[in-house]
Amino acid sequence: MGNRITIPFGSQHVALPEPIRFVFQTENEKIVDVEVDVGYVHRGIEKACMTKFKYTQVGYVVARVCGLCAISHTLGYVTAVERLMEIEVPKKALYLRLLVSELDRVHSHLLAMGHLAEVAGYENLFMHTFRDRELVMELQELVTGNRIQFDYATVGGVNRDLSLEVERELREKLKDLQERCLWLKDVFENDYTIKLRWKGIGVITPEMARELNVVGPPARASGLATDARNEFNYLPFKEVGYKLITMKDGDIYARNMVRAEETLNSLEMIFNLLDGMPEGDIKVPVKGLPEGEAFVRIEAPRGELFYYLKGSKKLILDRLRIKVPTFSNIPVMKELFIGMDYADVPATVISFDPCLSCTAR
Amino acid sequence: MKDMFIESLKNLFKKPATHQYPFEPSPPPPNYRGNIVYKKELCIFCTKCELVCPPGAIRFTYNEDGSREFHYNPYLCIYCGECVRACPKAGCLIQVEEMAPPATEEEIPNWDEIEKEAEESKKRWLKARKKPQAKKS
Ligand code: SF4
Ligand code: SF4
Repeated sequence: MGNRITIPFGSQHVALPEPIRFVFQTENEKIVDVEVDVGYVHRGIEKACMTKFKYTQVGYVVARVCGLCAISHTLGYVTAVERLMEIEVPKKALYLRLLVSELDRVHSHLLAMGHLAEVAGYENLFMHTFRDRELVMELQELVTGNRIQFDYATVGGVNRDLSLEVERELREKLKDLQERCLWLKDVFENDYTIKLRWKGIGVITPEMARELNVVGPPARASGLATDARNEFNYLPFKEVGYKLITMKDGDIYARNMVRAEETLNSLEMIFNLLDGMPEGDIKVPVKGLPEGEAFVRIEAPRGELFYYLKGSKKLILDRLRIKVPTFSNIPVMKELFIGMDYADVPATVISFDPCLSCTAR
Repeated sequence: MKDMFIESLKNLFKKPATHQYPFEPSPPPPNYRGNIVYKKELCIFCTKCELVCPPGAIRFTYNEDGSREFHYNPYLCIYCGECVRACPKAGCLIQVEEMAPPATEEEIPNWDEIEKEAEESKKRWLKARKKPQAKKS
């Protein structure tokens, strides 16, 4: 038995520029204990939504919970309000929402894959991935008018229509993007060094995943068939060729491959929905005030996002509760670290694609 | 090895993926959501825009005679376009593709003052309006 050494990882770390802090106790490189602290950037957004903002404005506030999944957060909120107020959203608006939500998934997954390549020491692949991600960002800007805070969905529909030129450009660039993604997947799948580095590291067994309630790509990489897109009917995913992607291994490599496959599936869905775009309005006027309770599950790029809200016929909501994917994944991270080599920690943490600005909103 | 060498040589002469920024301006994005432009002539002062604006980037101050003045803070605006959609007079508020200029001390509107003034002048105005009615009844 060697010396016990305490190693803090974070709250700022080269591999993870987000304020989470792990304190590891190690014995000869092996981790024997770990403590997690996530409360560094608490911004009180839930409270602000319950005191300061009207329910029609909250969609724009929750979009600021996280820059990467801004679309998912707004989508979760507006869907919950629409369920509560029984608003029938036009089909075209649903399709447009699906378009942006899938574009968002592509860009988030590319970021996660690039980041993972970076912590594996594969700078070149990181650069390639991020260059290709730029293509998606351009597409998102084309559709929504902004690069990060998209503000696309609103209660009753969406804010912008898809013009013919935009659609043409979308298709052109998407073809390009699809090719690039296929190439990237090929590299991630077949590169010898990556396999050495990631295979068999940080394994989450299906039992562990079920017991600790893992969500998103990490859960699907462990063979758990959980996906809110499949289970909760909030957008017409089934109509545009959604596929549930699962893998068995549950290691870092499998998590990455789930993301790569999902990216391709998302692009496929986008092509299908552009072909089948319905005609009609993009928005319906909203009347009345929310009363009662509603909850909604959304599949954000990182996993299941949960929105609960309660209103009592007032302009301001009584309660808004956001449960974000990373929050659900922290217990399993903790479990995973015990008995692991310290050297594998950065890659394992990043393979969950943690988002702290969501967790401590 | 040979392939790698050829690839490297090719890369030397390829166009870079990034923009050579200071020498070449980054392309202006079409359809960009930029600043809000206000046309006073068309406004009917319904204050709908003030009510919907999530960050409160639009405020009205009230003058003694009951006329109102529009204030807009491009640095607070999140460019969501809610005000444009809420405005009943088409063309009164429009969203243009221009971004807010870099903020220098002199150009930033003194927003704290304006907010305070908006609150207080509104109260004053409401009080003044109530009085004549109270006398009548
Ligand atoms: S665009 Fe949005 S944030 Fe800006 S002034 Fe209009 S409502 Fe307010
Ligand atoms: S909503 Fe339009 S008309 Fe009404 S006050 Fe604002 S700018 Fe004027």
